[in-house]
This record gives sequence, C-alpha cells and structure tokens, in this order.
Amino acid sequence: MKTMVQALAATAFAFLIALFPASLKAADVPEAILIGATVSQSGHFSSEVGPFKQLMEAWADTVNKKGGIKLAKYGKSLPVKFVIYDDKSDQATAKKYYERLATVDKVHLMFGPYSSPLTFAASTASENHKIPFIAICANSPKIYERGFKWLVGVIDLGPRYTWRYWDMIKAAGSAKTVSFVVEDTLHPLGVFEGSQKLAKDAGLDVITSDIIPADTRDFTPVITKLKAQSPDIVYVSSNIPFAVNFMKQARELQLDAKEFHCIHHSGVFRDSLGEDAEYVVGQSYAVEGMKLGDTLLMEEVLGKSKISEPMYPWAPAYVAAFEIAQAALENAGTLENQAIMDALKGLKLETVLGTAEFHPTGYGTINTYPSQIQKGKYVVIWPRDIATGTHVYPRPAWK
Amino acid sequence: MSADAIQLLVGGVLLGGIYGLAAFGLSISFGVLNVLNLAHGEFLMLGSLASYSAFVLLGINPFVSALLAIPVFVLLGVAIYTLLLKPVSDKPPQQLLTASILVTLGLSLVIEDLTALFWVRPVTGIDYSLPAVQVGPVIVSSLRLLILLFICFLAMALQIGLKKTFTGKAIRAIVQSREGAKIVGIPISRVSALTFGLGVALAASAGVFYVTLFTVTPAMGLPLTVKYLCVVVLGGLGSLVGSVIGGLVLGVAEVLTAYYIGAEWSPCIAFALLVSILVVRPWGLFGQSA
Repeated sequence: MKTMVQALAATAFAFLIALFPASLKAADVPEAILIGATVSQSGHFSSEVGPFKQLMEAWADTVNKKGGIKLAKYGKSLPVKFVIYDDKSDQATAKKYYERLATVDKVHLMFGPYSSPLTFAASTASENHKIPFIAICANSPKIYERGFKWLVGVIDLGPRYTWRYWDMIKAAGSAKTVSFVVEDTLHPLGVFEGSQKLAKDAGLDVITSDIIPADTRDFTPVITKLKAQSPDIVYVSSNIPFAVNFMKQARELQLDAKEFHCIHHSGVFRDSLGEDAEYVVGQSYAVEGMKLGDTLLMEEVLGKSKISEPMYPWAPAYVAAFEIAQAALENAGTLENQAIMDALKGLKLETVLGTAEFHPTGYGTINTYPSQIQKGKYVVIWPRDIATGTHVYPRPAWK
Repeated sequence: MSADAIQLLVGGVLLGGIYGLAAFGLSISFGVLNVLNLAHGEFLMLGSLASYSAFVLLGINPFVSALLAIPVFVLLGVAIYTLLLKPVSDKPPQQLLTASILVTLGLSLVIEDLTALFWVRPVTGIDYSLPAVQVGPVIVSSLRLLILLFICFLAMALQIGLKKTFTGKAIRAIVQSREGAKIVGIPISRVSALTFGLGVALAASAGVFYVTLFTVTPAMGLPLTVKYLCVVVLGGLGSLVGSVIGGLVLGVAEVLTAYYIGAEWSPCIAFALLVSILVVRPWGLFGQSA
C-alpha cells in the first residue's frame, strides 16, 4: 500500500513538473511595465510639482496609445502603468513609499521624487532592493557620492547648474565684478558654490557673497550694502519666492546693477514682477522656439496634463526622464532589473533637452541654458547654436 | 548718522508696520478669547489670494480689497468659531488654550492642503507698486508707508471702538471677567464669535497688502503665525498698541542685525528679544501683569 501511494505521488509530481514550464511561461510575461514614483501633492513642494502626477499619467497615456513599450524578450509591447503616492514633501514619507513601491507594489523602475533632500532619502530603497531609480530634479553632489549602483540622475550636478552662463560672460568679457545673494537652502547653496568658482575662472572679481535665510522677506540690509559696492552682476541663487521679493525691493531701493541673474526666473517670477522682470537673466531647460529633440512629445505631454512650462519650468526635465526610461527599457528588451540598469548606464540619447548620458557615479548631463526675459518672453542667449535671441547687457536702468 | 543707517532705520520701521498689522488679529483673539489661533497665517494667505484674484480678474486696487475683505472674513471667522471653537469655549482657561491650539492647528493643515490642491499657481505675487519717495539719499517705499499708516488708523479705530461701542465694551468686559460678563447679560458666545471674526478679518486684510510686497505660497501660514506670535508676546498679550510697537521693535532689530552682524542672525533676533522680554517683563511691553 505504501509503495502504491509513493508511486501515485511520484506520478502526480512528474505530471506537475511537466505542466510547470508552460505555466511559468505565461506567468513570466508581465501584464504591464510598473513604474513607481512619489509626487509632492501636499506639503511645501506641492506648489512646485503638485500636478505632476497628471504629467506622468499623460506620458503613460501617450505611450500606451501607441501600443506601449516594445520589449524584445517577450516579443511584444507592454503598456506603462504608474503607481504614485503623495510623499507630502517629507523625507521620511518619501522613503516609506519607495520601500512600499519596492516590496509591495514590486515596480520595475522608479522615478525619483522632487528635490535633492527627498531623492537622497528615497533612493536608499532602490539600492537596498536593487531596482533601477531615475532621479529627476535632484542635483546635489551628495546624492551621487554614496557609491549607489542602482541610481542615475537626469540632470547635471548643482554646482554646474549655470556653467553655460559663466561661459557666455567669459566670452563676452564685459562684466568685471559680481556679488552673490544666496538663499540658505540645499540647491541654491550648491549652485552658488559652483558658480563662485566658475565666476572666478571667467575672470570676474567676486565682491561679496551674502548667504541669507530662506524665509527672509526684507532685503533692505543687503541691498543697502550692494548699492555701496555697485557690482556689475548681482547673482541671486535662490528659489522663486526669494528672488521675486529681492527684485521688488531692488527696484524700490534703486539698486541698478548692469545685470541681475536669478537662477530661477519662471513664469511666476515674470508675472509677479511685470516690467521689473525685463532683462533679468536666469536658467531654463527649454523655452519656446528651441529646437532640441522631440519637441512634439513635450507639447503633447504638457498639453494633456495642462501644465505650462513657464509656470513649472522643471516639467521638461520630467519629459526627458520619460524619454530616458523608454529608451532604456527598449534597449534592455526585458524587465529584469540588472538589464534595465545596464541599459541606463550605457545610454546615450538625444532628448528634448539635449544629449543624455550618465557619469559612472550616476549624475546626468542635461543642464540649463541661460535665458533672458525680453518683452515678456524667454530668450535663450547662449550657446550661439541654440540661442533664440541676443543677450542685452547692460540692462537699461530702472525707470 | 550716516545715510545708510537712516535708510536701515526707515526700512526697519516700515517692515515693523507690516509685522504689526499681521499680528493685530492674533493679539485680539488671544488677548480677548484666550484662543491661540494657529490658523492665523492661513487666513493671511487666504486674504492674499483673494486680493490677487480681485486685482488680476477685476482690477480692484489692494487698498479697496483690504476694506472689502473685512466683512467677508468676519463672517468666515464667525462661522469657524461657531462650528469649531464654541463647543470648547466653556472649558477652564488652560484647557481652552490647549483645545484651541489643537483645533486651529488642524484647521491650518486643512486650509493649507486644500489651497495647495485647488490653487493652480505654485507661487503667487502681484505686479503692483507705487513710486518710492526719495528724501535726500534715503528712499522710502510708498506702499510700506501706506501700510504703516493703515495699521495706525486701524489701531486708533479699534481703540475707539473698544471704548465707545457696546460691542467694544462687551469685549472689554469679557476680558476682565468672563463670568461677570455673563451675569450682567452680555451674550458671550455672540461677542466671542464676532471677536474671533474680527481677528480673522484683520489677518486677511494684512494678507491683502502682504501679496503686494511679497510672494505667497500655500505652505507659508504656520511659520508666519509663529513669527507674529513673537510680536504679540513682545508687545503684550491683548494690547493692540503693544502689537504695533512690538512689530516696530522687531522690524528695526531684524534690519540692524542683518546689516551689522549678518543676515543669518536676523531670524534669531526675534527669539532673543522674546526670551529677554519673558525674563524681564513676562507680560510684554504693553501688557498688564496678572
């Protein structure tokens, strides 16, 4: 009897083994490409990226309407499906949700949250669980100094954020002195540290550098100092609210520099200052009229999600991230983590913002272009082959 | 005195005017009702957004908006008091204070997140300015000067209102003795709701001016409330004149600190002043000792 039971069990086992390859094959082909991300839909970053969930979903919709992303290993295209949480602009919450994306949702790829501090926290989950992670708007060198192997970033390092501007200033040779006004937060400080060196390399004399708390509303003290020193360039390394408040008071107190450079001078900056924003130079990823890569994709995705580039100037960096993800997935031809990561590391792609490649430590090559507000429009002024207009220097004095 | 020093003093006084105006409403609700309204900064932000909308969509001047905002936000304040604070208003003073902190903190978070969700502009600011006045080498911002005059006008109007009108006398009676006021027939709930509404309206009218000078974001409320709380404690709880003077002292101290010591030390001065005042004169510059 015992022998008979053993024989039956062995037959059943053999039967199951025979069936297994077929069922494995069916289960092996995923239904969709799962991409995980968090968006700061609440908290202090919500004012900067609140509607970006729609941006991601608009891209997924665009890709899926064309049949999805072709993955050679499965012999077909798979649709893109996002799993998105609200990180509440908080590091701990972002980290928690990226852990969840890795362990519960089991995503194949992750897009990073907004800002360097959140990305710094969130990217540990991808490293621990070996899931490819594409950082988007995060350029603090600290993120890439940890030796992480599962992380790439779309944009160049913060200290190089305005290198093209200093390149232009050096080539023009007109400006001799610069004063820095810096908001005391991670990104503006990083940009300032790099720019100070780049300014010196461009032959400029750095007169002063004032690092000012982020919630400062009144700039009377620093403007009074700057009026006495009269630098050619006043370089404001800050986020938008800080820059708007500074510029309003600079005009009110008649600080007449030959050039104001505000690293972020988006549509909100322009609308809040009106005529006072004229001739202010800043940095843009993309402006109307620039011809780089698939501008149709950008128009379609931004249009669908009802996000305007001047109001959300970092939206084009997200579109570049979408292009990078798609190309890497197609090149990998599979959803195996290592293959996707290898494809990302070896990628060289002409994106909507220029050539995208990754340094061995992970940071990217995409960077901003200096642009100047002229008659209410943004004009790229350097390099010459990309420029959509001419740099006006010195700016006309305040009326 | 050098031209730079005069410019700094003028800048500090004008900045103090903005602080005073913003702290005014907080002082009223704290001083009269023993309600610490942590959503004060949110009402200031809502006033700013209302002013922005009125200016951009209808072309209404911010000074007109400041007057229009008062009745609208009084009603909003009355509604909020009736719904959220009236149920806890009969608790002993310490419990009332704690309850009001919790209730208004929750309210603050709700307003902040709803605004971030529905207000499509990430950062709001309006292109509104008036020509500055130049006196020798010193430049005076006309807009800030008008704000300072507005706060002085409001302080005087409220002082007169508190002394001459029935509602004003009722408010003072509640401050002196809540039980006594109840015994003589003062409608405590109605007057309290009106007082809270007035505090909310003053925050909103400060916000109307705020957006002409500075940018506004949905998350700005709570940090502002904390700063204006320093102004209120500095000036003396419940003292309207104290709020104005506290604002001016803080404004001048911040500007001089930023210039002579360093901008990074400027935020510390508010807390340094606060601690000094609490040690030397715990009831504030113009408050009354218990």
